[in-house]
Order: sequence, then structure tokens, then C-alpha cells
Amino acid sequence: MLVTVLKLIGRRLVAAVPVLLVVSALLFCVLRVLPVDPAAMSLPPSASIAEVEAKRREMGLDRPLAVQYLIWLRDAVHGEFGQSIHYRRDVGSLVAQTLPATLELAIIAMLIAAALGVGGGLLLFRLRGTPLEAAGDLGSMLLLSIPEFLWGLILLFVFGVAIQLLPFTGRLSPGFVRPGITGFLLLDTLLIARPDMFYDALEHMVLPALALGLAFSPALMRVLRSSLLDVYHEDYIEQARLRGISENRILVRHALKNAALPTLTLAGVQFGILFGGTLLVEIIYSYPGLGNLMVDAVHNADLPIIQAVGLTYCVVVLLINTGVDSLYLVLNPRLRVH
Amino acid sequence: MLVGALFRSTRVMVGLGLVLGIAVTAAFAPLLAPHDPGEQNLLAILVPPMWSSGGEAAFPFGTDSLGRCVLSRLIYAARTAMTVAVVASLGAMVIGSVLAHVCGYFGGLLDWIIGRAVDVWMSFPPVILSLVLMVGLGTGLDKVILAIVLVDWTRFCRVLRSEVLVVKQRDYVTAARLLGFGHWKTVTREILPATLPLLITLMSLEMAIAVVVEAILSFVGMGVKPDQAAWGQMIADARQYIYQSSWNLLLPMLAIFITVSAFNLLGDGLRRTLDVRFAQIAR
Repeated sequence: MLVTVLKLIGRRLVAAVPVLLVVSALLFCVLRVLPVDPAAMSLPPSASIAEVEAKRREMGLDRPLAVQYLIWLRDAVHGEFGQSIHYRRDVGSLVAQTLPATLELAIIAMLIAAALGVGGGLLLFRLRGTPLEAAGDLGSMLLLSIPEFLWGLILLFVFGVAIQLLPFTGRLSPGFVRPGITGFLLLDTLLIARPDMFYDALEHMVLPALALGLAFSPALMRVLRSSLLDVYHEDYIEQARLRGISENRILVRHALKNAALPTLTLAGVQFGILFGGTLLVEIIYSYPGLGNLMVDAVHNADLPIIQAVGLTYCVVVLLINTGVDSLYLVLNPRLRVH
Repeated sequence: MLVGALFRSTRVMVGLGLVLGIAVTAAFAPLLAPHDPGEQNLLAILVPPMWSSGGEAAFPFGTDSLGRCVLSRLIYAARTAMTVAVVASLGAMVIGSVLAHVCGYFGGLLDWIIGRAVDVWMSFPPVILSLVLMVGLGTGLDKVILAIVLVDWTRFCRVLRSEVLVVKQRDYVTAARLLGFGHWKTVTREILPATLPLLITLMSLEMAIAVVVEAILSFVGMGVKPDQAAWGQMIADARQYIYQSSWNLLLPMLAIFITVSAFNLLGDGLRRTLDVRFAQIAR
């Protein structure tokens, strides 16, 4: 089985290369439409026209667009994403610095979304045939109408402002020094054995992760419920019932396995979108991750950052999709026969 | 018969009622709004709404940090949201469904190319793609609409294409071809009527998405121009005064929630009534 999974991962990674090439070319073209001169922006305002021209030549901006793209691509392959115009720092290191924060948030949010999705789906399924069924269905539909940024604001308002229970800015309270081992704060604080700091980081994580988890769970709930309804029409469920197996056991041990597959397919798409949704939640909670870097870059027209961060989002989405597909393969024995 | 079923569906009627209510509010904004949405009254900054102490009848929902009437801004912002919802989802629907029918019906090289384009689009989180497009396009109502069309045509294309593939196999389509129907006539007379229920349902759900995307873009300051009222912008402004005036934050949030759930309710009701299979159309 490991071989099949590895083969799938290998195939997916090979297929991702052309996608990433097209994505980077698209990003490059979209951003070059801007009436912004990166050369003039990277020099002090007192620079003469001749100096700006020299800088343009040095940056390769006088060459055709396709050549510019190839230059960028050559550097990108070597891990060089250029200098940020605004921060005057290496873009690669800026991304490397902020990516772990966003990944940490996204992973915890996905776990919350999956837990809420499965729990809610089972609950909705359990309500079938009861007077509460319609209420559950309507409720899940209304939940579907609250996007992540509304959840972010609702939770910020309720737990941060109205009852002031949890912190809602940043990743750590002031006074703590961030240990820079892996960049994953929850992991780092455990590695240096600082439970107080771990608890503080966890507190900061609750609201943003919950906002994302709540926003992306209703779709999973609804798909799990409808796949469970489908599965319960199958003979093997009736057969299990005739064998005298309890309803709970049938649900958890027999039905859930098959119903999980369509949910997992949707989860792959949902988690990709969730990763993009971190951008809004990061802005709402001033969480220092990729999203804040991106939005700052957008406001400053900092092209090298926008380009690198946009590409990073795509790489992570492709990795998430590959991961979910591998999981699908592990859970679905029918795909393993070859 | 189908129309009758639509009228009997509570979801469709409630959703449609809410959507029409919001649309009428948006259309008659100049008549309904008590003030000009851009009119600043620096002597009446952050006035609380009528129902809390210190509120004034002149500003039923209070005023924002520049002394602008919140109710009037909410009403005018409904205009922005509804314009984006209708025009953007129409645009995305037209592009997406034309491509879906052409690709699904003819297959071949074009189908392959469009399929790969959809793959590329799917690897971009929608928020990121629309933000990047807004950077390239610049701000403004028309740009927001264009960005949403460019991002969301794939939603229609993906789902409708597989529907076309199924319908294409049906006997009556083959019969139409044998009767001598041309490709154009077969697609428009035989296939389109079968995919129409899904198309209408998707359209309603897309409007909900368009409202959210417009709010998100305005919220990060990359949406409509600053002189145009938008719910996302009101939220971004109110966030800085969250302790002084929480209603300024909650009211536009409520407006977004009501509008989005109206479209979702309508879409869900349509799906049930028109018996559309639940493809991956959540969000």
C-alpha cells in the first residue's frame, strides 16, 4: 500500500509542475499590468532619471515580458525571489518567516473543521425522522451562510470585546520572547518546555482557528449526512442489523467508513479554500502570517512579495490536495488493486 | 406544475421574498435613505442607534466615525452588493456554462485545455486569486465584478460539464441527432433544458458567494472606490471603534448574513424542488 501511495504522491508532484509554471506566469502577467515602476520605488525619491534608468536596466525591466519572466523563473528555481521593495529584505526569508504561522493556524483550523463536520454530520443524521430534522437542516444551511470573516468578527466581538475572555491580537502576549526554532509556536514552546508560554500561544490560537473551523464545517456536515443517508439504503446495513449489532455500532463501525469517502473528497476542496481563508482571519486578528504579509504588500504594491506569496499559497493548496488524495487511497481499498 | 411546486416550497418563497426585499431596497435607495450616504456631520460622530440611550431620531441606526448616517449607508451598500451579485454571477454563469456545454458536448482538445485551466484555477484559493486580480485591475465596482467573473466561472464550468456529459448519453439526444438536428440545435433545444435546473441553482448560490467576495474585497480595502458605500468597508471602519460603537460593526455584518442566507435559502429550495443532484456546490 505504501508503494501505491508513494506512486500517487509522485504522480501528483509531477503533475503539479506545469500547474505551478502556469500559475507563476499568470501571476507575473497580472502584476506587470500595474502602472507601478519597481525601479523607481526601490530607489530614494531624490534619484535622478538617469539613475532610475540604470536601475531599470539592472533589474531587467527594459527587456520583453517573456524574458523578464524567464529571469524571474531562473532565480525562483534557485530559491531567489528578489528583494521586497517596501521592507528592503529578501522575499524568500520573509515568506519563510511567516509561512509556519499560517500553516499552524490552518492545520488547527482543519482539525476543528473536521471534528465539527463529523460531529455535526452524525448529529444531523441522528435527527432524521424526528421533528428536529427540518430545524437541523435549516440550521446547517444558515451556518453555511456565515463566511470565515464574519465568524472572525463575531468571535472577536463576543469573546474579545463583550466578555473579554480571550486575547484577539497576535500570536503571543507582549512580554514573551518568541523562540525561533521551527516557527511553529505551539511546537516551539513545548520544545523549550515552557508550559505557560504554550498556554498563552494556545489562547491566542483559539479564536482565529475556531472562526475558520466553524466556517468550513457546515459543508462537511451536510455531505456526511447525505452520504450516510445513501449508505443506509445498502443491504449490508440491514444485514448487520439482522445480526443483532447495535445501531451505534452500525453507524460508527460500518456506515461511517463508506460515508467518509465523499466527505473526504469535499474536504480536499474545502481545505484548499480554508487555507486561502486564513488571509482574512489573520487580518482580523492581526496574526503575523502570510495573509498579513500579502495584504501589506498589496497596499504597498510590493510586487516581489505578492508574487512569491501568491505562489506559496498555490504550492500549499496543491500539497493539501495531494495529502487528502493519499488519505482517500488509504481509506478506499477499491482503489488499491493494481 | 413545476412553477406550482416552486410556489409551495417554503425555502424558495422565503428566500425569494428576502431577495426581492433587498433588491427593492437597493433599487429605491435614494427614496428610502434618510440622508446622503456620503454626507459627513462632524458634530454628530458615533451617535448610537435610536433604541439605545443618547440616540437621535434623525439617525435611526446612529452615525459612523465621520458622522455619516449608518442606515443610509447600509441601504446604499445593498445597492453595491446586489449589483455585484447579479452582474458578476450572470457573467460567471454565461462564460462558465458556455464553456461547459461546448467542452462537455464536443470534448477533444478544447475540453482538455479548459480542463487544465480549471485545474490551475482550483489550485488558487479564491480569496488569493481575487485579491491578486484586484491588484492588477485596480479598485472600483466594475473591477470587482470582473474579478469575481474571472475567478468563479470555473464553479459553473466544472459542475455543468459533468452534467452535460451525463445528459449527452441520453437516448433523446441521440434521437435528435438522428433526426438531423445540428450541433447548435441539439445543445440549445435538447441538452440545455436538462441542465437548466442545475444552472439556475448554481446561479443562486453564486450570488451568495459574490456578496461575500465583494464584502471581503471591500473589507481589505481592495474593493469598490472609497466614495461608494459597501458593507465590507463599513465593517473595516467600525472595527477601529469597536469599543465605542459596536452597532456600527454588527449592523453591516447582519446585512451580509441576511443577504447571503437569502440567496442560499433560495438556492437550496430550488435544488430540492428542481431535483438537482447535489454536486460539489457547497461554497
